[in-house]
Amino acid sequence: MSSLRADLSIAVGGLNLETPVVIASGVWPYDPALWSPERLEGVGALCTKAVSLHPREGNRGVRVWETSCGMLNSIGLQNSGVRGFLKNALPVVRNSGRPFLVNLVMESARDVQENLAVLRDAPGGTEAVELNISCPNVDGDGMAWGISPESAARAVAIARSAWKGSLWVKLTPQAPDLPAVAKAAESEGADALVCGNTWLGMAMDLKRKRPVFQRVAAGLSGPAVFPLALRTVWQVCGAVSIPVVGCGGVARWEDAAAMILAGASAVEVGSALFADFDLPRKIADGLADYLTEAGVSNLAGLVALGRK
Amino acid sequence: MSCGGSPQDYAAAVLGHRSLGDGSGLFAVRCEEIASCAEPGQFVMVRPGTGYDPFLGRPLAVADAAGDVFKMIYRVVGRGTALLASKRQGDPVTVRGPIGRGFFSARGEKPLPRKVILAGGSVGAAPLLFAARRLGLSRVEKTVMGVAGKGWEGFAEWLKEAFPGVDLYSDDGTAETKGTVLSGLPDFLPAETELWACGPQGMLRAVAEKYPRDGHRIMAALESRMACGVGGCLGCVIPTVSGNRRVCVDGPVFTAEEVKWNELSSC
Ligand SMILES: Cc1cc2nc3c(=O)[nH]c(=O)nc-3n(C[C@H](O)[C@H](O)[C@H](O)COP(=O)(O)OP(=O)(O)OC[C@H]3O[C@@H](n4cnc5c(N)ncnc54)[C@H](O)[C@@H]3O)c2cc1C
Ligand SMILES: Cc1cc2nc3c(=O)[nH]c(=O)nc-3n(C[C@H](O)[C@H](O)[C@H](O)COP(=O)(O)O)c2cc1C
Ligand code: FES
Repeated sequence: MSSLRADLSIAVGGLNLETPVVIASGVWPYDPALWSPERLEGVGALCTKAVSLHPREGNRGVRVWETSCGMLNSIGLQNSGVRGFLKNALPVVRNSGRPFLVNLVMESARDVQENLAVLRDAPGGTEAVELNISCPNVDGDGMAWGISPESAARAVAIARSAWKGSLWVKLTPQAPDLPAVAKAAESEGADALVCGNTWLGMAMDLKRKRPVFQRVAAGLSGPAVFPLALRTVWQVCGAVSIPVVGCGGVARWEDAAAMILAGASAVEVGSALFADFDLPRKIADGLADYLTEAGVSNLAGLVALGRK
Repeated sequence: MSCGGSPQDYAAAVLGHRSLGDGSGLFAVRCEEIASCAEPGQFVMVRPGTGYDPFLGRPLAVADAAGDVFKMIYRVVGRGTALLASKRQGDPVTVRGPIGRGFFSARGEKPLPRKVILAGGSVGAAPLLFAARRLGLSRVEKTVMGVAGKGWEGFAEWLKEAFPGVDLYSDDGTAETKGTVLSGLPDFLPAETELWACGPQGMLRAVAEKYPRDGHRIMAALESRMACGVGGCLGCVIPTVSGNRRVCVDGPVFTAEEVKWNELSSC
């Protein structure tokens, strides 16, 4: 770790992070060299790619598309299933020596419970789960579990009953009343809320004169969504008392500082890593300098300072 | 320089830039870490500066490498390549690489073939130039290149200079012989010969289909839209006989028999 000038450590939803920078789900490969401590300077924790009970092929056709200061993705949760994850990826993940969260697809009630049971019984164990309630609910006409407070409460209750470890819940910004969803997740026992995931968008292929993506809509991320994500962080932090993790468009240390001032205890960084591998270290260094300049002795002192 | 680790981001500088006419060009970048480790078929993700505009890096094949300098060839097709085309000597660029499985690694343990036919479509010539240099003249049986025609005259001239004895085709006949790369390929792949190809997807597929029983002897460098270039985003996957494979790190070079050509989407 670089010579950080201020104390950036913080406790978030059952995990003790050395810095508040978390690598978001779906962007970091299971390449052992990239999970080595040297390549993860400034990283406080990492989320794995989405893990479902059974392997998933993901979507066909174009999967990524650049936009102005961001990108759209339609990966479709490709993964080798929880058993494949335990066998092939978990040993690599452990190698980082950092706390990690297994990003879990919220499938049907039965599937998610079985998935959690497999994780729970795995030798060596997993400390923390990030429940992704932004993907289509197989029980309910393709709607995401996170859209309404009722379905979100049900999803969190199902996961909570099967998982005693740390449980972060990743919300979807598509929810019409996000603070209400956040409260529902809190009341069912979430340890922290991640706010949020990608924003639904689309792109048109002018050559083919057709939508770019087979599923038409795709997830927008990157700097373009930062102001939107910051607003949701502000709203959700005003509604709950469990820790909130900001996520969406964080691409500079200033973005991280803004989310923390708005009430976030940590931030997740996703697409911006595609442009700069070294971003977590830069964010950590920037935050450390900012704390020193502001005369705040530790990161916890910065959390929600902008609301006071 | 020790090679073989995972790709990293390097702040580098443009050492020289030569226009090949009509919106294409060749530029040299000083970056020892990439130049000394790259193999033909590997590529780098290039960013025209250091900020977030454009947001994603542009994958470009390594066209040659020696000492601490490597070269790339581009054709301007959109915003990112236009920005790269405006770079002059001394300008900063960010390069992530070297990335992927090149022509040599993709063959696994198999020894090098006695003869290789090189087949390139437009800027697909780039990795083949590097491959030709590494293979040596005695191993290159034949080089066939194709360009669209009008608007590619400068590039066609450069191809003749870069590949001695190249058979050059253009779709409309404005540069050398009228026809496509396929016109210049033999009816049967000679024994002890491999075909190494790079170019537009349609061309690669046609080459693969021309030799239905010899798919294991055709090495093709594929393209796909990419976000990370290091195997993380799963944005670049293509369907293969062994399931989804990532073009960036499982390729970009695949044997023709691995790829499910009829299930590929256009990128
Ligand atoms: C492994 C690999 C090697 C390549 N080598 C070369 C080379 O040596 N020389 C060369 O001229 N071109 C090469 N290409 C194609 C080149 O990457 C694209 O032409 C370029 O990215 C277009 O960028 P743009 O900003 O000009 O176009 P835009 O259309 O504005 O780009 C928008 C987005 O689409 C992506 N994109 C557009 N076309 C392609 C494409 N064909 N392949 C992948 N992504 C694309 C861009 O990267 C960007 O994210 C290679 C592609 C790959 C995958
Ligand atoms: C290529 C890609 C794949 C992603 N896969 C997942 C995933 O599997 N599970 C998940 O919860 N979020 C996934 N996300 C969303 C990110 O984790 C993050 O929430 C989102 O991109 C917003 O953050 P950013 O703007 O910093 O990228 C993915 C994002 C991208 C760009
Ligand atoms: S470009 Fe991200 S996995 Fe290939």
